[in-house]
Amino acid sequence: MASSYPPPFEGTGEVKEGFLCPLCLKDLQSFYQLQEHYEEEHSGDDRHVRGQLKSLVQKAKKAKDKLLKRDGEDKPETGSYESFYYGGVDPYMWEPQELGATRNHMDFFKKHRAARIDHYVIEVNKLIIRLEKVRTLAQTTADNHKLFKSVVAWVSDSDVPFCPDCGNKFNLRNRRHHCRLCGSIMCRKCMEFVPLPLAYKLTSGTREARSVTGSQSQSQSPPTGGGGNVSGMGSRRGSISSLSSVTSMLEEKDDERIRCCLHCMDTLMKRQQKLEEKDHVPDIVKLYERLRLCMDKVDERAPEYIRMAESLNAGETTYNLDTAGGLRMEVQKYYELIDALSKKILTLGMKEEPQPHQKTLQLQRMVRYTATLFVQEKLLGLMSLPTKDKYEDLKEKRKQEQEMRLTQERLVMAQKRRQDSEKNRPAASTNGEAPQAPRAPRMTKAGGWLPSSDTLHTCGELEDPLLQQIDNIQSFLRQAKAAQRHDEVAMLEENLRQLQDEYDQQQTSLAIALSQRLAQEESLQQDELQRLEDREREHRAQSQAPGSQATYTWQGSLNLTDIGSLHGEEEGEEEVTPKAESSPLSMRAFPALTDQDEESPPRLRRLRGDVTPPGGEGQNSSSLNPFEEEDSTPVEDPSNPFFEEIQKEHKEVANGKKEYNPFEQEEGGEEEQGQAEGATGNPFEVKEENNEGNPFKEASGCTPPGASTNPFEGEDEEAMPDVDVIEEELLLQQIDNIRAYIFDAKLNGRLDEVELLSENLRELQRTLQEQKSKTH
Amino acid sequence: MNVTLAVKQYISKMIENSGPGMKVLLMDKETTSIVSVVYTQSEILQKEVYLFERIDSQNRDNMKHLKAICFLRPTKENVENLIQELRRPKYSVYFIYFSNVISKSEIKALAEADEQEVVAEVQEFYGDFIAVNPHLFSLNLSGVARGRSWEPTLLPRTTQGLTSVLLALKKCPMIRYQLSSDMAKRLGESVKQIITKEYELFDFRKTEVPPLLLILDRSDDAITPLLNQWTYQAMVHELLGLNNNRIDLSRVPGISKDLKEVVLSAENDEFYANNLYLNFGEIGTNIKNLMEDFQKKKPKEQQKLESISDMKAFVDNYPQFKKMSGTVSKHVTVVGELSRLVSERHLMEVSELEQELACQNDHSSASQNVRRLLQNPRVSEMDAVRLVMLYALRYERHSSSILPGLMEELNRKGVSEKHCRMVTSMVEYGGKRVRGSDLVNPQDAVAITKQFFKGLKGVENVYTQHAPLLQETLDQLIKGRLKDSHFPYLGPSSLRDRPQDIIVFVIGGATYEEALAIYNLNRTVPGVRIVLGGTTIHNTKSFLEEVTLTAAAGQAERLQRAGGHPNRR
Repeated sequence: MASSYPPPFEGTGEVKEGFLCPLCLKDLQSFYQLQEHYEEEHSGDDRHVRGQLKSLVQKAKKAKDKLLKRDGEDKPETGSYESFYYGGVDPYMWEPQELGATRNHMDFFKKHRAARIDHYVIEVNKLIIRLEKVRTLAQTTADNHKLFKSVVAWVSDSDVPFCPDCGNKFNLRNRRHHCRLCGSIMCRKCMEFVPLPLAYKLTSGTREARSVTGSQSQSQSPPTGGGGNVSGMGSRRGSISSLSSVTSMLEEKDDERIRCCLHCMDTLMKRQQKLEEKDHVPDIVKLYERLRLCMDKVDERAPEYIRMAESLNAGETTYNLDTAGGLRMEVQKYYELIDALSKKILTLGMKEEPQPHQKTLQLQRMVRYTATLFVQEKLLGLMSLPTKDKYEDLKEKRKQEQEMRLTQERLVMAQKRRQDSEKNRPAASTNGEAPQAPRAPRMTKAGGWLPSSDTLHTCGELEDPLLQQIDNIQSFLRQAKAAQRHDEVAMLEENLRQLQDEYDQQQTSLAIALSQRLAQEESLQQDELQRLEDREREHRAQSQAPGSQATYTWQGSLNLTDIGSLHGEEEGEEEVTPKAESSPLSMRAFPALTDQDEESPPRLRRLRGDVTPPGGEGQNSSSLNPFEEEDSTPVEDPSNPFFEEIQKEHKEVANGKKEYNPFEQEEGGEEEQGQAEGATGNPFEVKEENNEGNPFKEASGCTPPGASTNPFEGEDEEAMPDVDVIEEELLLQQIDNIRAYIFDAKLNGRLDEVELLSENLRELQRTLQEQKSKTH
Repeated sequence: MNVTLAVKQYISKMIENSGPGMKVLLMDKETTSIVSVVYTQSEILQKEVYLFERIDSQNRDNMKHLKAICFLRPTKENVENLIQELRRPKYSVYFIYFSNVISKSEIKALAEADEQEVVAEVQEFYGDFIAVNPHLFSLNLSGVARGRSWEPTLLPRTTQGLTSVLLALKKCPMIRYQLSSDMAKRLGESVKQIITKEYELFDFRKTEVPPLLLILDRSDDAITPLLNQWTYQAMVHELLGLNNNRIDLSRVPGISKDLKEVVLSAENDEFYANNLYLNFGEIGTNIKNLMEDFQKKKPKEQQKLESISDMKAFVDNYPQFKKMSGTVSKHVTVVGELSRLVSERHLMEVSELEQELACQNDHSSASQNVRRLLQNPRVSEMDAVRLVMLYALRYERHSSSILPGLMEELNRKGVSEKHCRMVTSMVEYGGKRVRGSDLVNPQDAVAITKQFFKGLKGVENVYTQHAPLLQETLDQLIKGRLKDSHFPYLGPSSLRDRPQDIIVFVIGGATYEEALAIYNLNRTVPGVRIVLGGTTIHNTKSFLEEVTLTAAAGQAERLQRAGGHPNRR
């Protein structure tokens, strides 16, 4: 595959790769850096080019996301298109809409802030350093103005006739005071004090491991607030006539505190607050983090459980009942934890004396509310599991159903074949893979190859995403080429090469292991085909050369492809992407099919991955290839076991429909990895189970889990006659559910429902008791 | 071209940008409405936004464990408040988004206030409009006109709103305006000026056919907002009043506490989404079905859940039931109240006559009917006035106009002086003198024949005969037949092809009837996307207020100019 798109620079000898800036060819490590670089360096250049680049980068980003299966930042945007507005509000199709225009001012902002911050930081640091000096001075020596002056030059008294803060005139009564930290002058009223412990704390960062007699300063009586002191002094002032004694008294007090001005105090307080916040993580944050963790876990586990439960309730044997039970327990544990945690958050600080701020309480209420919403939404969707006996019944029933369907299908098949021959449609072909007419046998074959070996099965899963990505990239490439965006082409090609290398590696190792088995199977298939062909010939009235028929078929489907992509192009650039994506797949599949026999094993392996699509893969590749469609339809349209009867026209319609919603396809691709486990698993394993004995069973093995009716209904029918034998487990599950509802109803204040529900609960519990007494 | 989605995407992008953790959304009065129209509380809670605060609210606690997302209009007060906030930050990090273009000097001022480096993001996200429906936006501005010209403060505000719509939709349009309206021209020029000034912003990928902005003036069609409506959304607005998709039901007799204010949002309410544009009769049927459905699901109190299977069925249905019960009670209440008002105010009869006045051309029958209804004591004051207004607008220059007689009739009925004066204000606002296009009298032969056939066949529904003028205008626009002489282009270039993306803006307010018309056009005309906007969305009541304001302001202005003639009209 790599050879089909040789990189354009290869001939020149010098190959530049990576995220090159289209203007200066500088290599930047990532898209983001490239974008940034471009905006910085070339923002002055031609606007038009820039716009182009932007869209290019966006596209490339998309491609990259797909490559890496990254469910990162961009995904919510792309994923959210169809979630808005197709449900009755706005039936007309608005084209997918990207985020509106934005403009970022952060650079400008930062530039101006930086200047300011530098200034601020210097100020703060200066203050802190001085504070440290002053603090040691205040602690060790008696108050000495000279010493303080050595730290910071004091403003001379004569320069300041009025207090700069309050504007009062200085005189004998209203004396000047100097800030020990900046040397400025203020009056007594505007004076502040830094208590020594605070000073100690503030400077602890700058002071390294210097041991200070910290205990000494701490053991001193806690300093009283500045205001209280001032008033105390004021009241005493009248009785003391000597100014010096006042001064001495004040200085004495100063031993424990450092005098400073309002502004310095303000800065210091801000700093202190910051320090405190840095270390302090409030309880609510800790609890909240745990809460989110639990929610994430639930988001991760619940879908898995639901898948299991669905499968089990349908009587499939993909999962083990015990594992599912264990998972259920785990999920429920998380719910309980979420409930408990959110309750704790709700009541945080309620008992403390000064009630927390009303906004804090509101926050706690909202967190709790969200948690309950979460529990409600997710827990109520948690279906119950069948009990062991029930499960056996279900399995049995399913088996029967399958058999029935199989017979029907065979009937249908016969009819169909007759019809086909009547219409003289090109049905069978000499080619081994042409699946049109010999449908049922082919399915048998599918069963024959795939499920019997687990390794095969798992490799199928592994390779699908890779292949898909390759396809995606190829379509991007073509698009980019069409748009003459060479830089993008180069980039994409690089990606493609890497992918293909990886893929090839994977394949060769696989192929070696598989080639032998394949060879065997191949011969088997050939035999079978031969037989089928013979039968076909009998049916057919006119005998045409099978080979030409086959080619005709191919052409037909190719045309379809073309039409599909044409449509896509008409509908606008955006939509082309996903559609074009699928076309190369089918196109590639055809040539591969025809010369399959000569191909090497890895190639074969890949081909099979494409053509026999299990589960999710089927949906992705099915859009244009009618053959594949047949495989996947039973999976997609579970309710109709007679689907095969529906004429080709229908299929084509279905194809068309699918094309219409390109996003789903894309989505499917992205999610595939996550779902691969379950989605691809089901049909296979069932096949595997039934594989022994009747090889025809596989055909019906494709019938999906949903085909059987509502699991509950089924259960009920059987549960009704002997209510007494209700399983304990089932009861417990029900009790769980009802409790959840009660909780919910209480929360919303619907008392009547609570009553009703609790009655149910009581009844259930009673039944449980009876049950227990009976068994023991 | 989906305005709701545009705003939603902006907001989810903001939240996304701020990363995980508890968040608070700091907004101003207007952005609060902008956000609340597109997002419900529970939706936004799921994105970890737990508190919603107003930037101007003093009652906010220090919560350093929260991240703040500020979504603000770039007004002076907001910037000032934000500066104060940054000086003493209450939250740990600030992500600041302005809903419109902000000046460099203001950013500088903000930067200088951010001494503690709490700001992590300063961006412009152009969600500066109320996205009522995907194809309908409003600016929630009333009283935009003073006589025939702009209220000076509101022209810049309207320009901002309209340009933000263009930016959010990434459209750099050609502009056409209604020649008869000076306001339309002024607004068009103002928008054009912004586009020129901020050319970097408007540098979008060029489409084959450039988008088109069509600016109209409400005074060209004063009839549409005067008519009673019969489709769900329009009817709710007409009779109960929709404000940012909320209805105030507190005046409804015997209303329960939690239904005093209900939200009608097509985003989250399936029933509403499906019935928004259906007429009253259809809604009646649908709500009956809804009720029946609900009754089936409702757990019966008396019925004992005897077997496990009963229990199971109950448990399975419970969540669905719970969800349904909210919807059912809401819509049953709303529709019940609507039908109460309809019968109380004889709206069937009134509406029939309104439609006759608006759509038919039979003066004698119309005047007779108006007179008859005015004499009916059960027709409310408001409806009486609006009938007279419709008559006055319709037969303004008819040779045998009975308008003076009707005014007398109104007086006799005890209609307040204020309301009577409104009739003259209305004629002044939307009369023939100001109308550019011909609102009611179809002149060309095609239209006359159409009218004739209509009369011959009878109409399907007498209450919904009227089609707003806007529909005709857009129809012509789409067909490329809209006359340049009436709707000239701003600037030298003109559109040669059929327009594809059209943004229609109605100065003086759009109506839900017009929104419905646009919705239908969008649905039926392939390849054309239309978004409708207005300075506000009118019902009759708000329209009358608007007209009164306009007239009063216009009068005051003229008085000033004329040097004071107290009784001049």
